[in-house]
Amino acid sequence: MSCEELQEQYGAYALGTLDRSESGELREHLETNCANCVPGVRKALSLVTVLSGGVELKDPPKRLRKRVLALVNPVVVKGNAWQLGWSLAALLAIMLLAVAIPAKKQAEDTARLEQALSVLNDPAAKDVSFGTAEKPARGRVFVSPTKGVVFIAANLPKLDKGRAFELWTIPANGKPVPQGTFQAEADATAVYVRQGALEQPVAVAVSVEPEGGSAQPTTTPFIVSKIGS
Amino acid sequence: MSGQYDEELARRLQRREPQAMADLYDRFGRLTYSVILAIVRDSGVAEDLVQETFLRVWNRAQAFEPGKGALGPWLLAIARNRAIDYIRSVQSRMDRNSYEFDVREHPSLFVDMEREVLNTDHARVIRAALAKLTDNQRKVIELAYYEGLSQSEMAERLGQPLGTVKTWVRSALQLLREDIGQVVSA
Ligand SMILES: [Zn+2]
Repeated sequence: MSCEELQEQYGAYALGTLDRSESGELREHLETNCANCVPGVRKALSLVTVLSGGVELKDPPKRLRKRVLALVNPVVVKGNAWQLGWSLAALLAIMLLAVAIPAKKQAEDTARLEQALSVLNDPAAKDVSFGTAEKPARGRVFVSPTKGVVFIAANLPKLDKGRAFELWTIPANGKPVPQGTFQAEADATAVYVRQGALEQPVAVAVSVEPEGGSAQPTTTPFIVSKIGS
Repeated sequence: MSGQYDEELARRLQRREPQAMADLYDRFGRLTYSVILAIVRDSGVAEDLVQETFLRVWNRAQAFEPGKGALGPWLLAIARNRAIDYIRSVQSRMDRNSYEFDVREHPSLFVDMEREVLNTDHARVIRAALAKLTDNQRKVIELAYYEGLSQSEMAERLGQPLGTVKTWVRSALQLLREDIGQVVSA
């Protein structure tokens, strides 16, 4: 298509309403930095964004400000971590623990927080939530191919003695890769951080295994979440 | 408080000053929340997505050009994309993947454009312009804006030929540009 023909699509593209089959050509064309189309699409995006300014204003709850600020400065927030939301809750839980526990454990937790933040702050990190009415274990997992995995959950099932949870990443070939074992806290929550590069998974899973961990899942995973591409 | 303030704010975000995040939230938090809530209609989900939006801006601020970029529009585009991405995934309509959003919300696109998104006079002009559209034109803009429907999905939903839907979208945007463009440089 010529620039003139593509021009017809600027508005629908900016609005996000072009079908995928249609938008590909314009998108590729924009990547060539076309001197006609890039400013044209900018103008269209500008119009679409200005439309947002017409939305009826609603006041967010006060806690939202704390949640947003805690993303960059978790230490400033105190309070019930689980009320504050998913991605953040874990980090806060670690911080709150750190207040009341011995120095050695505190140092471990601080290190864990830093590891978790390195995953969350990776622009390439993908994340997915899990948990439904039928599957009460709920939470969120973050995967960065270069930094590692952060797994946060609540409502985890009770384990028998000698058993542990094992986290798996499942790459495109379908063979689960073990990412280590962990236990839940007394309140059935867990924050698990596994640092290090890994093959980009298409899904993550958690199963119940013997305490030392297994090379492959020996029970049916009770959490399986697909990771978006 | 507008262009110059936002430029300085963007520079502080790039320096990763936590206080810049606070100022960004104080400036745009309410509008961001309102835009997302209008799309997802669930305050809990909206809170999560506001958090994600600000984290994304924080993480990608390096690619932003403070002198030229329009911080408010960029943030709002990210906010709307997160909300649309959410409702599409909930409704299992994932034919358009997030890669597309990544391209459409790249900071380099948000330069040399109207920066002011918080002006109440503008809000009035925008509502008046939307009110002037025909019912069909307004419907397609709303379906695209608040529900993230593609043109062929709208055609199906409305029982209209795709060509008709495309014409409505194009003419609606044209009219909006004529009305709004006089007040803001859109
Ligand atoms: Zn072109």
